[in-house]
Formats: sequence, C-alpha cells, structure tokens
Amino acid sequence: MTAQHICVINGLPGIRAKGFDMENQVVSGSGEIPPGIDLADILEFAARGEEVPHAREYRVRIDDEKVTVDTAHPTGEMLLSKVGKRTCSFELIEEFVHHENCVVEPDETVNLHKYGLKGFITAHKEIVTIFINGDPYQIERGERTVAEILSKVGQTPEGYILLEEKNGPPMPLPPDLPVTICGCEVFHTQVQSGGSS
Amino acid sequence: MAYPKEETEELKSYCAKLSLLSEAGVDFLHMEGLRLPAGCEPPVCDGLLCPVPKDGYSSRLFLSTQVKSPYTRNWNVSNVRIGEKNWFAFSWRVELTNLTLVQLLVAHLTGFTKEK
Repeated sequence: MTAQHICVINGLPGIRAKGFDMENQVVSGSGEIPPGIDLADILEFAARGEEVPHAREYRVRIDDEKVTVDTAHPTGEMLLSKVGKRTCSFELIEEFVHHENCVVEPDETVNLHKYGLKGFITAHKEIVTIFINGDPYQIERGERTVAEILSKVGQTPEGYILLEEKNGPPMPLPPDLPVTICGCEVFHTQVQSGGSS
Repeated sequence: MAYPKEETEELKSYCAKLSLLSEAGVDFLHMEGLRLPAGCEPPVCDGLLCPVPKDGYSSRLFLSTQVKSPYTRNWNVSNVRIGEKNWFAFSWRVELTNLTLVQLLVAHLTGFTKEK
C-alpha cells in the first residue's frame, strides 16, 4: 500500500488540523480518500465560494447555534435534534449564500458538500403532528377544541375523555376549554364512564 | 385482596407514594401526593381509591381535602375517618366496571373537569 499525505490547508478559516496525524493518512484499499481534515465549517467554505472538503466532522449553523455532525449526509431530523427541536413541531430549512432557501423533510438526507450551503434555520410548522393513543396525527397549530382533537380518532366528547400527558401522567382535559397545540403533544382517550349523582 | 401488579405500578405515576390501606374489609389504595387535573386547588393532595363497591357507589375516590375545581361538586362525604385520617368525597358515579385502576382513577378525576 502506498502511503500518501492528505493535503491539509493549515491556517485557513474553517479548517482545523488539531490532532491530525498526516503520517498515518493513507489512501484506503477501495481508493476512497479518507477524510482530509478534522473539522469543516460549512459557512466559512460557502462564504469563500469554496467546496466543502471531506472531513471527520462538519460544523453547521442552525439558527444561532453552531453544532457539529460526524457525517456529511445528516437527515433533517438529526439536524433538528441537534438544537433540541423535533419534527412534530419544527421544520428545517437550508440556507444558501445566493439567498435560496429549501425545506428539508425529516427523513431527507442533506448533502453538506452542496455548493453554497451556508447553514440552516428552523421554523415552527403551521400544521404540526400530535400523538393520540400512540399514533401521529396532523393538526393546525393554535387553540383547538377537545372535539376537534378527538375527531382525529373518530371519537366525540360525549363518548370519550381526552387526556393529555404533559409533565406527568395523562390527565383529563375539560371538554369545553380550548387546548393549545404547539406540536408534539401526547394525548390519550378513554371511554366516558363517570357522572355526577 | 391483591390488585394486579401492573395496574398498581401504572397508578404510581399519579402519586408520590402508593400503599395499600386495609380497613373494615376493604383494601383501599392510598395515594400520597396525588396529582389533580389542571384548574384544581390544591393541585396535589392525598387520595384514597376504593375500587370496590362502597356506600352505594361502585367505586369511590376519597381526598384529604375538599378540592376547589372549575365545577361545583356535591361533596357528600366530609371528615370520614379511614386509616386514622379524615377524608372527603364528592358524589360521582363510575358506571363501567371493567376499568383498570388507572382508568378508574381517571374516571373519578374527570369529575373535576366536566360539568355533569
């Protein structure tokens, strides 16, 4: 096997060669070049109009946060989770230097080598996902009635209690008060079985 | 009477401490620090779930205090002594009989969140 040094452009912004052992970098048996640098900051490459090189880790900006991923092809869901957000409530949007924005679906793979990609922003979805009895359902964000939520599973307040699991065990909700939906809420239903006497 | 372990385990998520209190042939489920639905004052109190028929009701939920809730309730039990403590209960009938302990508790807690 022929040893080959991988070029590391020391000193350029966006490239960090910390801990990089050039002597041990070789072309792999398959001919693939192993990651050339430790960390590539995609914003800095995009700002210079350069292609993002292969790296062990990639630094990306999501809103105002800098996060690091160890793959050049993370999914939208993975990136959202890096900033503590979930796909049931938020969407991820690619931002390019030429001001183009593209929504990334949760299971869509992003190519961090994409030319001009400078980072991501998140946005609260208008149509969010809630969970009722363990299954996901789409609903408009905002104040919704108990009847509207129960209708997702073909039930009515006359026949069923709606319970919300929020910072504790599932608790019954008043059927005549609106429920604030932000996305990712967890609900359960139970047959009505009690009444005043 | 032994209650199913999986049901008592599930019930533990609603309170800080769960224990069995046997008195006058009835096995009550004593729930210390029972969480109550939103809008209740206090939001937490002790509870005593009686899953078997008592006083003409198929089941009852006794509480350590007369809880304030958005709806006026008929508190027809005040300061009844069970397990050397005073308990309160409002008139609330749970008709279904095949409920798990948590479903039974929820059916009683619903008394705080609906008018009738």
